[in-house]
Order: sequence, then structure tokens, then C-alpha cells
Amino acid sequence: MEIEKTDYKEEAPPIFSTWNQLYAFVLVFHALLITAFYFFTQAYS
Amino acid sequence: MNPLDWIVLVGTLAFIVLYGVWKTRKVNTVESYLLGDRDLKWWTIGLSIMATQASAITFLSTPGQAFEDGMRFAQFYFGLPVAMVILAVFVLPIYYRLKVYTAYEYLEGRFDRKTRTLTAILFLIQRGLAAGLTIYAPAIILSTILEWELLWTVLIIGVLVIFYTVAGGTKAVSVTQKQQMIVILSGMVIAAIILMNKMPANVSFNDAVGVAGKMGKLNVVDFEFDLSNRYNFWSGMLGGVFLFLSYFGTDQSQVQRYLSGKSLTESRLGLLFNGIFKVPMQFLILFVGIMVFMFFQFTKPPLHFNNANVQKIYETSAANEYKALETKHDALFEEKQEAINTLITALQKEDEAIIATAQSKVKTLNEENKALRKEAKELILKAAPSAKVKDADYVFINFVVNYLPVGLVGLLLAVIFSAAMSSTASELNALATTTVVDIYRRSLVTDKDDRHYLNASKGFTVMWGLIALVFASTADLFENLIQAVNIVGSLFYGAILGIFAVAFFFKNVKSKAVFIAALIGELIVLIIFALNMYGYIEIAYLWLNMIGCVIVIVVSLLLQSIFRD
Repeated sequence: MEIEKTDYKEEAPPIFSTWNQLYAFVLVFHALLITAFYFFTQAYS
Repeated sequence: MNPLDWIVLVGTLAFIVLYGVWKTRKVNTVESYLLGDRDLKWWTIGLSIMATQASAITFLSTPGQAFEDGMRFAQFYFGLPVAMVILAVFVLPIYYRLKVYTAYEYLEGRFDRKTRTLTAILFLIQRGLAAGLTIYAPAIILSTILEWELLWTVLIIGVLVIFYTVAGGTKAVSVTQKQQMIVILSGMVIAAIILMNKMPANVSFNDAVGVAGKMGKLNVVDFEFDLSNRYNFWSGMLGGVFLFLSYFGTDQSQVQRYLSGKSLTESRLGLLFNGIFKVPMQFLILFVGIMVFMFFQFTKPPLHFNNANVQKIYETSAANEYKALETKHDALFEEKQEAINTLITALQKEDEAIIATAQSKVKTLNEENKALRKEAKELILKAAPSAKVKDADYVFINFVVNYLPVGLVGLLLAVIFSAAMSSTASELNALATTTVVDIYRRSLVTDKDDRHYLNASKGFTVMWGLIALVFASTADLFENLIQAVNIVGSLFYGAILGIFAVAFFFKNVKSKAVFIAALIGELIVLIIFALNMYGYIEIAYLWLNMIGCVIVIVVSLLLQSIFRD
């Protein structure tokens, strides 16, 4: 069976000007979250 | 249960089900049934992905895990945001370009039909058995705690799910999951607020958190590299990325969630939404568990949280021995409460010397309490060998049923039922889609019209739903079967992941090589499993995932170098 191939539109994300910036935001947010968890762990240990 | 709780529980579930059926009343083609006309927005996709992963067991077991083991389980999810970004960058555009219904459809374009069929069958076996367990696991806990027949809890979850999933297909699954996630998150936030208000008047939120920290419960991050430690930063980041890549990238119950997006942009945003909110959500659930732990430092908890087991032992000759343990437990509670109050006063005065002494005493008493609980479990097991003594899953539901105000008990039960329904719905929908698209329409009945395949999709949803119901309502008769189902995932996931890894990252490998490699990989995994079962080797089942995947990749590359075509 031939799978139908379509051209999809590569749109800009609704926030930030490129997808790479949005990916970086997700990863930086995650890094900051882990950092916050680390300080939370330290503060209450 | 109070009538108001019944109204809240039944009203919430009925509203969600009827809303799902009403919203999808115009679904009348195979594409709209299996892909929801590809018109979903990113927030629906994101919530749907989260609801699929979060089963009822997540909300029953995770707070119990925090109660027993602290918050370190949060690290298990640390690899998830990275996996979401990798899928959004590399995998999603491929699925969109090929306009596939299922993940396995992609494999036909990349390799051939037999590789697609093999992978689809491996998925159907694994997920088909797991669907029953998704219903059974919460049903057995709810039936025990609410003293309902197991059959009733199984039927409430199963029949409602089958009803709206059959009626509206994948769109019904997604729109109901949006409502279910709203109920689930609201319920957990309300539970957290109630817990904070249930602390004694002289204990502030900060005091409670401070004591939990001093008792070693707020251990969210551990950077020490230790292979024997199941949950630390490294196992979460390294192992977690592979686990979540395979789950979100190759499991149709998740792939179908984001393939129903209006565009590549919406689907990408849905995945990234999950990447941002999943870890904080798990943190919240674990934190609720910590608050339950603190609540039971000031309110006397039972020695054992599964009351059915306690009633069982009261009827045996070991009753007096158990009651003696309960008396010890009561005395220990009084002593521990006194030590905790000393610790709180010291924390308020910031007196480091007294903090250290009180902390040490509280920790010692907590260890004694743990030992006492273990002794109770052993006694129950001795008196009733068939009893399931792991009571951590009963901690949160015990708090809900016995200590929440009227009305909120119904809401929190709706949370548990909603979670069970949301993950089961995705599973049934994915099973029916894979059966129709990858097997039935592709190889068995290839020349019928759209109406025929729409009816077939509904028929297969009912079929898989009934299989799950039968399994769930009889699973307690087959203890070994439950263990087997847990293992089944590990038996097949590795080979599936291996096939996809070769498809995405080793473009020179052709169908013949990967198909033979998948069969060899699966065979070796089954042999290792058999050797392990009969005691010739000792290996944890989870390792089978990695072994299967690596064998498929390595053997594919070797065979391709031999075949050269």
C-alpha cells in the first residue's frame, strides 16, 4: 500500500519567533524546575 | 456514602460521559472516528496526553508512595520533557508528512507490510492485556475500601468507557479527557488545601513542611550516581528519556492522541504542554502524599491501611497478637507526637541544638513505626496467606473516605474513576484503531466502503472493551496472571522500540534485516524470560526492554551488512 504523503506547513509557534527558541524554553524551564527542586530539598533537609 | 457524595460522583461522571457523546454526535466517517477529523487544539491534545498516562493507580499509589518513601519518585519523570522535545523535532514531522493513522503504518512505508503487521500484533497483545489491568487495579482498591462488589466497580468504569468510546471514537476520548483532567487537577488541588487546613491550630503550613523535611520526606532531587538506587537524577534523565521516547513515540494509545491535532503546530504544542506541566503535576500529587503523611502525624493512623485485611485477622487466632501490636502502635504514636511538637517548637525558635536532638528522636521513632507496620503485615500474611499486604495504595483513599468533608468525598472518588476511565478509553481506542487500520483493512477485508470500516471500528472497540471487562472482573482469581501481564509489557516493548529506532536512525537498514532481527530479538527475550522463570539466571524484567531493543538494532545492522540490498 502506498502511504499518502502530504506537504505540511511549517508554521511559526504562537510564542517565540522560532521553534528552536520554544524548545529551548521548555528545556530551560525544566532545568530551572530541577534547580528549584534541588534548593527545596536542601532547604528542608 | 452520604447522598451528597453520590450526587457529586454520579453527576460528575454522567456529565463527562454525556458531554463526550453530545460533542461527537456528528462523527460519521472512519477518519473522524479514528483521527477526530484532525481538528483538535493544542490544549486538548496536551490534556489528553496527560490523562492517558495518568491512570487511577497514579492517584492512588503516588500519594501512598510519598507517604512511604518521600518525594524522590518525582525524578522518574525528569527525562519526559527531553523526550517531548526530541519527538516534536524528529518524529512528529515524519508522522505528519506520511499522514498516518497509526505509528505502525509508518513502518510499512519505511520497511514493508509484514514488519508493520508484526509490530501491530506485538502492540495488540501487550496493550490488550494491559487494558484489563488498567480497570482491575483501581477497581480492586475501590471495591475493598468502599465495600462494593468488585464486579460493580469494574462495570462502572468499563461500561461507561465502552459507551462513549464506541459512540464518538477518538474525539470522544479527547474531549472527555479534557473534562476529566479538569476534575482530576481541581480535586487534587482541593485535597491539598483541605490537608493544609486539617493540621492542628498550632502547626502552620511551614511547620508541617519543615517537619516533613526533617523526617527525610522532601528528598525531591538526588544527584548521587548510584546504579542500585531506582530513583535519582541520573536514572530519571538517562533511563527516563528512553522509556518516554518509546512510550510516547511508538505506543498507539499516545500516538493517536497527538495525531488528532489540527496541524503539526497544534500537535507539537500539545507534546510540549505535556513536557512543561507533567513534572509539576507529579510534584503536586507527591506533595499531597506528604501532606497526608503529616496529617497522620497529628491524627492517629491505623496500624494497617487496608481495613479488609484487619477485619480478616480479627477473625483468626492471631487477633490478640495483632491487637497487642495496635496497642504498641498507639503508644508509639503518642511518643512520636510529643517529639514532633518539640521539633516544631525548636524550628520556630531556630534552636539548632534542640532541632538536631528532636530530629534524631523523631527519625528513630519513625523507623520503629515502620518496623511495627512491617511486623503487622507479616502477621496478617501468616494468618491469611492469600492477603495482599502492600497497603501504601490504600493510604490516600483511606484519608479521602474517612476525613474529607461530605461532597468532597464524591469529588475525589470522581477523580479516581475519571483517571481510570481516561486511560482505559485511550487504550480501547488505540486497540480498535490498530486492529482495523493495520490488520483488518490492510490484510483481511481490503475493499469495503467507509461505512463498513466505521462499523468495524466500533465493533472492535466493543470487542476489546469486553475482553478488558472479562479480564478485570476475573483477574483476582488469577494472581499469577496479573504478574504475567506486568511482565508482558517488558516482553514486547523492547522489540517494538528496536524496530522504530532502526526505522528512524539507521536509514540503510532494509525490511528483511529488521524483520528477521525483530523475530530473533523477541525470541532471545522470551528465552531469557524462560531461563529467569526456571531459576537458571536472575534478571529484573525491566531490563528486557533494553535487551530486546539493543538486540534488534545490532542484529539488523549485522544482517544488513550481510544482505547488502
